[in-house]
Amino acid sequence: MAQTEKYVLNMGPQHPSTHGVLQVQVELDGENIVGAKPVMGYLHRGIEKLMESRTYVQCVPFTDRLDYVSAMNNNLGFCMAVEKLAGIEVPERAEYIRVICAELNRIASHHVFIGSLTNDLGSATGMIYAFRDREKILDLFNIICGARMTAHYIRIGGVAADAQDEFLRDTQKFIDYVPEMLDEYNKLFSGNEIFQARMKKTSIITKEMALKFGMSGPNIRASGVDYDIRKIDKYGAYGKFDFDVPLGKRGDNWDRYMIRMKEIAESAKIIQQALDNMPEGPYMAKVPKVLRPPKGDAYHRVENTRGELGFYIVSDGSTKPYRVHIRRPSFVNLQALDTMCKGMLLADAVTAFATIDPLMGEVDC
Amino acid sequence: MWGKGLITGMKVTWGHWFGKKETVYYPEEKLPMTERFRGGHLAFDEEKCIGCKLCAISCPNAALDLTVSVDENKKRHMESYVHRIGRCMYCDLCIEACPTKAITWDKNYEFASYFKEDMTYDALVEARNRRGNNE
Ligand code: SF4
Ligand code: SF4
Repeated sequence: MAQTEKYVLNMGPQHPSTHGVLQVQVELDGENIVGAKPVMGYLHRGIEKLMESRTYVQCVPFTDRLDYVSAMNNNLGFCMAVEKLAGIEVPERAEYIRVICAELNRIASHHVFIGSLTNDLGSATGMIYAFRDREKILDLFNIICGARMTAHYIRIGGVAADAQDEFLRDTQKFIDYVPEMLDEYNKLFSGNEIFQARMKKTSIITKEMALKFGMSGPNIRASGVDYDIRKIDKYGAYGKFDFDVPLGKRGDNWDRYMIRMKEIAESAKIIQQALDNMPEGPYMAKVPKVLRPPKGDAYHRVENTRGELGFYIVSDGSTKPYRVHIRRPSFVNLQALDTMCKGMLLADAVTAFATIDPLMGEVDC
Repeated sequence: MWGKGLITGMKVTWGHWFGKKETVYYPEEKLPMTERFRGGHLAFDEEKCIGCKLCAISCPNAALDLTVSVDENKKRHMESYVHRIGRCMYCDLCIEACPTKAITWDKNYEFASYFKEDMTYDALVEARNRRGNNE
């Protein structure tokens, strides 16, 4: 009788499918996965510590580098936490511009998800389609703030500069294009039989498991848990818009993909409403040149593209934060990797990485 | 029918044979940079600068190294304006802090280099060279 033994295979940190510098130690029994252990820290820059030696205003560009494919959402989370701490009221127009930018960034980030997922499943062409459309959003960011990814556009008290007519017009053009874009994706990927076979009923996370792991974002909604901070907290201007929260049923790879497709449509809906009702007025509140929030602490959470992003800031009354802690959704979501991979084939591990959508800048912080 | 989805997908791909081209032929063809584009070197205007150093103070990464001298009339002069690109994250805080708008981005993004030394330059020297060339 043939003798078999388990062995450990290192995937990453340079493996193209691990989305950055994630290393996964996969324990294998033949082709079957017995365990998958994420090893992280390759991208650790100590952002929380760096923030302690910078003023509140200087901290904002560092948040761009957390989840670098949805920088606008990170800016928003940090700025709102500081605003809560310092008691700053944000003008309405700024709130609307913030929502437009955050939702555009959500779509752009889901483009990266779709692109890298299809690429990991062996369709390199798929990635080109998603990145072609993501480019349209990055161009919009280039117009409004002069940077494509590291936006640093949302600031404490408002936004850096007013939204130009050119930006609003081009955003409208993009929103008009979204249905056509989704239709093309559906024809290209969603209907594809091979794609479906790889995605359906693989790497299931049940509702209970998702809750136990403390997952958030599209990953927990794919398991059927109705948990969206935009709906629960209604922060910023989100209370004024009408949108649905798509939910999955099974919690498999397919649901995690479909949720994101539906979320793109919902984000477009929000942006359309914001564009239609855009109020006039200032884009920046009166913020003191030297910002000294009173002694105390504040926690604010936003629905980032990957889940619940929270900033906990402690102020000692000086110009610099005493301590900043960041609750990063990718880091928490990644815990489920082992459960998702167990019992699957090695080739499915790649799909599991892709649908859990970790962003290493955020995992390592 | 199994395979129908594959064929539909193929049709989409084939359709793009005849579609519009999405890319440009870089470097022969270049995309225009936007008005607010942040990138390149700092274009420094000696006439406008009052030597207040607010730009350097507001930089989160200490990427700006300024030397300022004061003459007998208590007027401040910029002696050197060193910008370390390796430390810069193009956050725009320096430019926004300048009270006289003495610095702007030159928007030339093609400054990749083989040597670390090229990541540091003196914006004052560059500005004087530029003026010398124009005269
Ligand atoms: S752009 Fe930001 S990092 Fe760069 S020099 Fe100016 S303030 Fe410093
Ligand atoms: S902030 Fe402006 S005026 Fe002041 S030193 Fe810097 S460049 Fe000169």
